Amino acid sequence: MLKKLYMVFGIGVLVAYSAAAWFGWEIANSGSKSRMGVPFFYTGFRGGK
Amino acid sequence: MSTLTANCPSCAGPLEFKAGSTIVIVCPFCRSAIARNDRALEDLGKVAEIAQSQSPLKLGLKGSHNGNRFELTGRAQLRHELGGNWDEWYATFSNGWVGWLAEAQGRFYMTFYQPLPEGVTLPSFAGLQLGQRVPEIPAPAPLMVQEKGQATYVAAEGEIPYKLVPSEKLQFADLAGKGNAFATIDYSMDPPWVFAGSQVTLDEIGLGSAKPVEREAARVSTVGMGCPNCGGPLELIAPDQAERVTCPNCDSLLDVNQGNLSFLKALNPPPNQPDFVLQIGAEGVLGDVKYKILGAVVRSVLFDGVKYFWHEYLLYQPMIGFRWLVHSDNHWNFVEPVNPAEVEQSGAFAHGATANYNGRTYKIFQNAIATVEYVKGEFYWRVEQGETVRAIDYISAPMMLSQEMSESEINWSAGTYMTNEEVEKAFSVSGFPRPWGVGPNQPFTGQFYYTWGLLPLFLLIVTAIFMIPIAGLTRTVLNQQLILPPLTNATTAQTIFSQPFDLNPRSNVRITAGAQVDNSWANLDVDLINDQSQEIESVVVPIEYYSGTDSDGAWTEGARTNDAILSSLPGGKYTLRIEGTWQNWQAQMPVTVKVEQNVNRGVNFLLALILLAIVPFLGMIRKFTFEANRWKDSMFTSSSSDD
Repeated sequence: MLKKLYMVFGIGVLVAYSAAAWFGWEIANSGSKSRMGVPFFYTGFRGGK
Repeated sequence: MSTLTANCPSCAGPLEFKAGSTIVIVCPFCRSAIARNDRALEDLGKVAEIAQSQSPLKLGLKGSHNGNRFELTGRAQLRHELGGNWDEWYATFSNGWVGWLAEAQGRFYMTFYQPLPEGVTLPSFAGLQLGQRVPEIPAPAPLMVQEKGQATYVAAEGEIPYKLVPSEKLQFADLAGKGNAFATIDYSMDPPWVFAGSQVTLDEIGLGSAKPVEREAARVSTVGMGCPNCGGPLELIAPDQAERVTCPNCDSLLDVNQGNLSFLKALNPPPNQPDFVLQIGAEGVLGDVKYKILGAVVRSVLFDGVKYFWHEYLLYQPMIGFRWLVHSDNHWNFVEPVNPAEVEQSGAFAHGATANYNGRTYKIFQNAIATVEYVKGEFYWRVEQGETVRAIDYISAPMMLSQEMSESEINWSAGTYMTNEEVEKAFSVSGFPRPWGVGPNQPFTGQFYYTWGLLPLFLLIVTAIFMIPIAGLTRTVLNQQLILPPLTNATTAQTIFSQPFDLNPRSNVRITAGAQVDNSWANLDVDLINDQSQEIESVVVPIEYYSGTDSDGAWTEGARTNDAILSSLPGGKYTLRIEGTWQNWQAQMPVTVKVEQNVNRGVNFLLALILLAIVPFLGMIRKFTFEANRWKDSMFTSSSSDD
């Protein structure tokens, strides 16, 4: 059971990595208006100042 | 076959020497051993009746060996000096050969007289050492002395191809070689005779399924008896094999002589009454074979003044013989005998010593004197309290290879680790106490996490390599110098716009800004404006640079450039709006801005790598701890793993 869970987790990480690489998503070091503070993928503009 | 008929010189009953090789025939009427010689028949004396046994063989059975047909025409029963009988069946072949089919503890050995080459002399019985190789005997591989002993002819029937004298004693040595090779040296002859051949199965000699009815009838039966000490009831599960039995009523050790019991001694009770978790007589299926527990032994070893105990259960199945189930620190091993000649040792029972068997290398784990502390049930040898052997254990999980050496015998056995659940299931019981430590040959069950567990890591690396050409190299989309005019006051920012530029979708964005600050700061709020939708993503790029000298020399702090990374944005035309404030606000501030895409930072790869490495890393720590726990109880610690 744990083995299956681990393999699912591993595949999940791989899929997430592949998707991020394909779409250009990245743990960014900036983007002060991002909702999470550490933006990963584009969540839509939140307007100007 | 040439047939000779005569009358028994003892009872005048008719005798028939069917085989030309027959030297002695046992009169079926008066049980005299009658030998024929050139001139007359000679009465060698009475022989006892063959003791009842569960042997699947009987006189008259026909089989074949290497394509040659034979018939079992005679049988002698010999008694080992340490107790226990074995049978020797005489196979008369249709081509005139005579083979010896020895049957002991459920195993069969087919041997033939082996003349020695001219001028070759065998070592004397006294000079023969256990474990010694005897290259004088022609064999594909050298034969090794496995046992030395003395036996007595106690019973016979049928036709015997040599001069069997009832009650005559003989010294013998059994030798074993690779590939089930087997030989016996009979020291009753001068010079000694050699019988060489191999261990066989009944299937291999055409007797396996030929007589299933007889074999079915030879199952273990129990014989109810009374204890000669207390009169209490006890029963023998395998009366033809038993040499010792303990009375469950008075804890006496009894000698069994062909089914007759005699009191030997009262057993010394152990300090703590042994808690045998399996009962004598219990039946269990191990490896598709149903065994019955005949006896149980408590054994111990002494280390640093401390005795360590374990339990061994003697298992019996008439067609297979004896096996052991060893219960130590709540770990279980199913133990089977091993041909000593198949084991190759290196090292001298010291650290680093190994043994090779069946393509596997075993590391030495323990070397100690094992003592019998207590016995219960029945046994095929004359077991004694206090009996000792040198026991050397080698391990290669889940296997354990054990060597036991006594004065007259070397035995090797291979133990296979069994879980509590497997033993419980085999004997249809439950609630065994669970082990609290790691068993010497307990297999590590977490290899998956650092073997197959590394597969996602490997796939991650492959994926990352394939992504490089797909994502492309870093691309600069804007590189411009701008000049911000002086501020009207220290807190009101100046704003300036860059020239428009194109951003691709699906690519990250790095904005690098530089300002010529010197021992001062500038703070740039950079807005990335989508010219089409007028939507904005904002980043802050603070720049500060300080330098000077002190007692340690020149120093600098900060940098004149800084950057900000954004995840991918929708593709399209963009403009930068830069709002700046700076320390020297009265002066203009030249700034450079650069916008790049496809910046390869590796942060996603690193994050995925860490996530995927956690489990294999923990698995390796667990493995290391497991092996450390395994070897902490060894006399010979090992730093390497044992998988």
